[in-house]
Amino acid sequence: MTAPGNHIPSENDLIKGCIEGDAQMQRLLYQRFSAMMYTVCLRYSENTDDANDVLQEGFIKVYKSLSKFRREGSFEGWVRRIFINTSIEHYRKKVKLYNVTEVQENTIEDDSLDALDSLATKDVLNIINELSPGYKQVFNMHVIEGYSHKEIAELLGITEGTSKSQLARAKSVLKKIIETRAQNSKRSR
Amino acid sequence: MQNFKNKLYHYETPPPEDVWKHIAEELQHEKVINLYTRRKSKFLFYGATAAASVVIIFVGSLFFKKNKEPHTIANTETKHELLAQKVKDSINLNQKILESIIHNPQEKKEIISKDLSKTKKYLTVANPEGQPVKISPKVATLIISADHEFPPKPVWSKKIDKWQKIMLASTISPTSVSLIDLVQLAANSENVE
Repeated sequence: MTAPGNHIPSENDLIKGCIEGDAQMQRLLYQRFSAMMYTVCLRYSENTDDANDVLQEGFIKVYKSLSKFRREGSFEGWVRRIFINTSIEHYRKKVKLYNVTEVQENTIEDDSLDALDSLATKDVLNIINELSPGYKQVFNMHVIEGYSHKEIAELLGITEGTSKSQLARAKSVLKKIIETRAQNSKRSR
Repeated sequence: MQNFKNKLYHYETPPPEDVWKHIAEELQHEKVINLYTRRKSKFLFYGATAAASVVIIFVGSLFFKKNKEPHTIANTETKHELLAQKVKDSINLNQKILESIIHNPQEKKEIISKDLSKTKKYLTVANPEGQPVKISPKVATLIISADHEFPPKPVWSKKIDKWQKIMLASTISPTSVSLIDLVQLAANSENVE
C-alpha cells in the first residue's frame, strides 16, 4: 500500500512492510534514513570503517526492533536513538571511560563555538572528528543531540560530573582547533 | 546563534554502496535463522511440555502414595487384628463345646442351644489352619443327639462318641470343614479300626 498521489510509501507502510520482511520496503527504509544516520555514525566513530560497521549494525537493529516502535515520538527520532546507542555500544567495546576530576561546565564559554557557524557543515564535522573519542561522545550527545548530563552519565557509565568535565574539555580543545585553523588560513593568505 | 548544531543534526552523508549489500545479506541470513529457530523452539516447547507433564505425574503419584501408605497399613493391621480375634474366639468356643460334649453333656446342650438361639444358627469350629468353620444346625442337632438321653439314637451316639475320641486324640483342633468331612473322617477311622 502506498500513499495516494505518488509511489513513495508512507512511514506506516514502510514500518509494516519491514515487519513483514518485505525486502523492497527494507531497501526503501534504508534509502530514506541511511545518509542521515551515516552522519551520526561518522560523528561518533573514530574512523569510516567503524562508522560503516555501526551503520550496518544499527539498521539490522532497526529492522529487528520495528515491532517495538510504539509511535509515541517521531520515527526518525526513534531510529536516530538506535544509531546513537549502537555507536556508544561500539565505542564502549573499544574504549573505557574513566571518571575524571570535575570542573565547572561554564569555565569554557559557549561563545567560543560560534566560530563553527561560519564554517561549512562538512568542515565542522571534520573538526569534531579531531576530538578524542571521550570528548567527542559527550560533545555530540550534549551539544548536537541535546542529551542531559544525567542521560549521558547513564548511557556512558560515568558520573554526571565526569560528563560535564568531558564537555568542558571538549569545548576547550575545539576552541584551540578553531583558533589554529584560523591562524593557518591567515598565514596561507 | 550556533546554527552548526542544526546543520550538523540534519546533515546527510551518503554511505558506501556495499553497506546495503551487507545489510541485505544479513537480513536474508536472519530469515533462514528465524525459520530454523522457530521450528527448533516449537520442538523444544512440545518436548519441554511433555517432560514437565511426566515429572508432574511422577511427583504427584509419589505424593499421593506417601499419603496413602499409612492409611493402608493401618487398615491391614486392623483387619489382621480382627481376623486373629475371630479365630481366637472361634477356637475358644470350639474348645468349650468339645469339652462340654465330652465331659458335661448337659452344659453342651446349653451352649449349643444358646448358640443356636442366637441369630447365628450355626456353630463355629476351627480348621487345621485355625480358620473358623461353620457347622449347620443339622450337624449341631446330630451332636446334641450324642447325648444318650435326647433323643435316643444309639447309632448316631456311638458314631459321635467315636469322632469325639478321634478329635480329642488329635493335637490340633477339629479338621473338618463340613459335614461330609466329618462323615469321611468317621468312615476312615472305622476302616482303620
